Amino acid sequence: MPYHLFKCSECIPEREKHAVIKGYGETLTDALPLGYLNTIPGSISERGCAYCGAKHVIGTPMKDVIHLSHGPVGCTYDTWQTKRYISDNDNFQLKYTFATDMKEQHIVFGAEKLLKKNIKEAFKAFPEIKRMTIYQTCASALIGDDINAIAEEMMEEMPDIDIFVCNSPGFGGPSQSGGHHKINIAWVNQKVGTFEPEITSDYVINYVGEYNIQGDQEVMQDFFKRMGIQVLSTFTGNGSYDGLRAMHKAHLNVLECARSAEYICNELRVRYGIPRLDIDGFGFEPLSASLRKVAMFFGIEDRADAIIKEETQRWKPELDWYKERLKGKKVCLWPGGSKLWHWANVIHEEMGVEVVSVYTKFGHQGDMEKGISRCEEGALAIDDPNELEGIEAMETLKPDIIFTGKRPGEVAKKIRVPYLNAHAYHNGPWKGFEGWVRFARDVYNGIFSPIHELSLLDISKDEIPTDKGFLTQHLLSDVNLSEEVKNSTVLREYTGDYDALKRIKERKYPEFPRKSGLEGELSAV
Amino acid sequence: MTEVDVLDEIKKERVEQLLDFILKKCLWQFHSRAWDRERQNENIVVKTMQILCNEPIKTDTAQDRCYYVDAMYLAENYMKRFPWISEIDKGELKEIMQGLKERLDYLLIKGSLNAELSDPHY
Repeated sequence: MPYHLFKCSECIPEREKHAVIKGYGETLTDALPLGYLNTIPGSISERGCAYCGAKHVIGTPMKDVIHLSHGPVGCTYDTWQTKRYISDNDNFQLKYTFATDMKEQHIVFGAEKLLKKNIKEAFKAFPEIKRMTIYQTCASALIGDDINAIAEEMMEEMPDIDIFVCNSPGFGGPSQSGGHHKINIAWVNQKVGTFEPEITSDYVINYVGEYNIQGDQEVMQDFFKRMGIQVLSTFTGNGSYDGLRAMHKAHLNVLECARSAEYICNELRVRYGIPRLDIDGFGFEPLSASLRKVAMFFGIEDRADAIIKEETQRWKPELDWYKERLKGKKVCLWPGGSKLWHWANVIHEEMGVEVVSVYTKFGHQGDMEKGISRCEEGALAIDDPNELEGIEAMETLKPDIIFTGKRPGEVAKKIRVPYLNAHAYHNGPWKGFEGWVRFARDVYNGIFSPIHELSLLDISKDEIPTDKGFLTQHLLSDVNLSEEVKNSTVLREYTGDYDALKRIKERKYPEFPRKSGLEGELSAV
Repeated sequence: MTEVDVLDEIKKERVEQLLDFILKKCLWQFHSRAWDRERQNENIVVKTMQILCNEPIKTDTAQDRCYYVDAMYLAENYMKRFPWISEIDKGELKEIMQGLKERLDYLLIKGSLNAELSDPHY
């Protein structure tokens, strides 16, 4: 498994240890990219900062909270359509964002008074909201404002409110991952165990590391509710502040994105004895296995089996329609962190695509261990790539599509490689059985887009043919398919609704009789 | 090659088959610290072996049940994918499972290049 130095990075030789080609017969002990290190000077990273990782990734998906950044107004930019962690309370946390708007005078004279004024104003403007998170930024950290003290003072003055303080300035780590870590530990230290929830089921879980991108959490919660499992809290997509204060009362932590949230699961295991079960919510087989494992933990696997059977029958013919058309297409799987391992194997097996490269912007070496294990031989694995390396990789590997964020995605489009937004999705949700078909549809639409075909002609130099008609997606995708597949009466394109969540919101859930005495038994470790 | 060498090769190949499935399909082996990986490998591989050998399995605590569900997934898939499991005797199967455990410990703990495994804090 040789390390790989990009030509464009020959002037930064330290970069060599950050890229590896998965070789035949070699193992993780032969080579593993370095990870979670400070970006090397000279390499223009695509990473975010530790404040962003704490607030924009983990804090803000909490839905019933005023999220206040104590810093300049620009720090709180990411709202509305740049983030897509929706919620079932009319997206309060996306529609409204708050900053104390620190200026030079506050840097010189301090900004604690300003913070206090902002807290009061925000609660006054939204009297129905009683919970707040305050995020330290580089500016407020450097001048040493004591945010915790102000929060305590405010909670004494306004007894019906509760405030969480996250001290994770932008410089507090090599990437956004430093912020994930800080907010995990801060939440378990400050808030877990401070609220007693109503327990409504014999089977209670925390769903951790799930951010409800375009409704993913609501899809997964639907499965759990159909099995009679209470989702006490979701960390943090569509999650409520008080639900998350009650995490200590769950029987099991079901962990999805271990990169951003394994810390709190580890702490909950050590402090409260709640076990951690890592799952995959993407793909038919991994999702089926995950639902079955959660159900089996409680001894109710028959309920999971019924859901898996129903969902597979409904959606598998649609997934397979896309698989037939995507077989052999080359993919660069270039997300931020966890999706490199969530998807590396299952998109190959269930969509038929070839993963020619995996990368992570802020992953740790553990993420690379998982990603490299799950992808096929020959794939190029890159840690914290810079823009030039991304371009060189695309020119060398010639992928048919890449899955990445919007910044590298725009670079890809410029060199005429289609991309899907791996962080915020295109037409999600992508979790769940139907969601996985929606993802396949987005991949298909990306690769076989007639507009993409047209973009391959450069009007500044290419001759534009006038004797050829417009090629539709089907004409492009079906050209090499057998008649049997083309005319199949089993396989079909996606037939779900534009809004995949509507059906879930209208669902009536079964009531399962409760057993007595189970809670104590499940809590005993 | 002697008969013993051939048997050794077969055993190694079988360990690699079982290992490949874990690396591609499971997540439990990738906890972030060495002590957690040791705990996970020990408990889940042993429980898988117990399921495959029809031996009693401890499931009376929440943590044990958590190991059990990962072990059950593994055992069910092993039975489905590798017919040789039901054809060999229990002693041989236990040796292979022990080999699997040692291989996992080496790849993901003792021989791992992951510098974060020894970080004393989560």
